[in-house]
Amino acid sequence: MNEAILKTTKFCKTFSSGRGKKIKLVEAVKGVDLEVKQGEIFGFLGPNGAGKSTTLNMLTTLLAPTDGKAVVAGFDLLTQPEKVREQIGYVSQAGGADGFSSAFENLVLQARLYGISATDAVSKANELIGRFQMKEFALREANTYSGGQKRRLELALGIVHRPSLVFLDEPTTGLDPQSRAYFWEEILRLKKEGMTVFLTTHYLEEADHLCDRVAIIDHGTIVVQGTPQELKREIGSESIIVDFAMDKELEQAKLLFESMQNIKKIFAQENKLYLFVQDGGGMIAEVLRVLDKEKIPVSTIGLSRPSLDDVFLQKTGRSLREDKN
Amino acid sequence: MIFFKDIYLLFRRHLRKALRAPVWLLMGLMQPVLYLILYMPLLKSMGATALLPTGEIVRVFVPGMLVIMAMGGLFAGFSFIDEIRTGIIARWLVTPTSRVGVILSLICNQLLTLFFQACILLVIALFLGLHVSLIGIALTLVLILMIGITMSSLSYAISLSVKDEGILASITNTFYLPVMLLSGIMLPISFAPRWIKIAAHFNPFYYAVEASRSLFAGDFGSHIVLFGFGVIFVFSLVALSLAVRALNKMAV
Ligand SMILES: Nc1ncnc2c1ncn2[C@@H]1O[C@H](COP(=O)(O)OP(=O)(O)OP(=O)(O)O)[C@@H](O)[C@H]1O
Ligand SMILES: [Mg+2]
Repeated sequence: MNEAILKTTKFCKTFSSGRGKKIKLVEAVKGVDLEVKQGEIFGFLGPNGAGKSTTLNMLTTLLAPTDGKAVVAGFDLLTQPEKVREQIGYVSQAGGADGFSSAFENLVLQARLYGISATDAVSKANELIGRFQMKEFALREANTYSGGQKRRLELALGIVHRPSLVFLDEPTTGLDPQSRAYFWEEILRLKKEGMTVFLTTHYLEEADHLCDRVAIIDHGTIVVQGTPQELKREIGSESIIVDFAMDKELEQAKLLFESMQNIKKIFAQENKLYLFVQDGGGMIAEVLRVLDKEKIPVSTIGLSRPSLDDVFLQKTGRSLREDKN
Repeated sequence: MIFFKDIYLLFRRHLRKALRAPVWLLMGLMQPVLYLILYMPLLKSMGATALLPTGEIVRVFVPGMLVIMAMGGLFAGFSFIDEIRTGIIARWLVTPTSRVGVILSLICNQLLTLFFQACILLVIALFLGLHVSLIGIALTLVLILMIGITMSSLSYAISLSVKDEGILASITNTFYLPVMLLSGIMLPISFAPRWIKIAAHFNPFYYAVEASRSLFAGDFGSHIVLFGFGVIFVFSLVALSLAVRALNKMAV
């Protein structure tokens, strides 16, 4: 097994806003233990406000943790932040491209800030412009870029200095499917070139497709951590999703299924019932038969293969998909 | 050395931005120039008082305008908050660049703008009949630039802790006018009633205005000059360290 390139122990962040009696505390990150291995793509999956960006800001030396320790790229985060900065790259959720400069100017300055000489910085910038297909707009002010073009520049800015570990905060949020596919390819290419990638996302497909290992975070705590396969195997099942027209029917059905032996777990959300079973194909007929016998009408019924959404649902009792809508 | 290189690199970027939208240069300049052209003649035509002969008016009025201009550094935070929001400041802070360097590069850019504005104002004042020695002007410019450091640092420190243009605006507006009026910018505080004089003595910018008036009058060795430089120097260091501290604990 590979060595760890990042390790956190009981990592915490509590924000306080207001003063005196009106002070408000927000526990954004509560005792997170993470381990990222050299050369992998690690996914941090969680809904809005889960604490993903806060964790990343702490790991990239932008924000002091309230408690806990971390070793990032071989250096202690709290005692050697300067060393950490030399080793890592960060593309924040906001992006951070300079709108008043062109892609070329942005890249040259970024390279220079990492101590790369003027001539090397220029060739580095040109190389990245080629690599991320930015020729067409590289000399225009970044204020004029489309969302996807800007995001490409920002990814390039994060890796000018070939960091051993790069943090990407929601690299594909707001992109169309085609651009997303393009980013996925580029992120996989970073891994091939030996970089370790730590990315956050709320797209399950993204975590599933890209990541060697994922950690699911919710309300500042790690719910579960492992490879997507492991996590899905842990549920070990497919789910039957039954859609009801009325709450009363759902409650009725839930009672009914709770006594059925072959159903391992049941969740209700909105007016859907999620039934986790071993053999979905066989059980779906059984489920329909039971419902029919009790004369409970069903709007739709479907079978879904185990996904990270099911993992999230099982661990938190909520569906990540529903959260987003 | 690396420290200065980083300041230079970032400073060049700020300059590029400023030159692409040169309105900024004019904005700080308008107010004092208008005072000079539309208000000072009023003072002149009111006629000489016993305390302030007509010939002296330009010499008394222009230092005040320079200080007003330098106090405009207080508004530097507005574009800074905008930049915090785009994530560009965070991006620089994650590089090995010195954090003091990030703040200093921004301040240098403010100072360059201020320097140009001050020169333009002085040229206009010369046309309006200002007589002053070169040393007087040079020393005053140094003082003005130190006020620029103080004000822009304060503005950055406030911006970093509130991160909201609205709050920054209400804080700056609350302080700007009383501080300006209590420093005798329009007319010397020596004309004022006693309680205003006492209040003014608690205002560091009062000393700055008085010091630059002495410098304009050619009175280089006077107490007030030394005192003005001392006060503003201390204030600029305090403000600068506040800004650096705020940057170090900024929650992005
Ligand atoms: N400076 C701050 N002061 C107070 N609370 C904060 C601050 N920054 C973040 N929070 C709170 O901390 C929690 C975690 O926020 P964070 O930005 O880490 O979430 P996230 O997982 O990145 O969400 P998203 O997917 O929306 O980006 C949220 O409840 C947020 O409101
Ligand atoms: Mg976030």
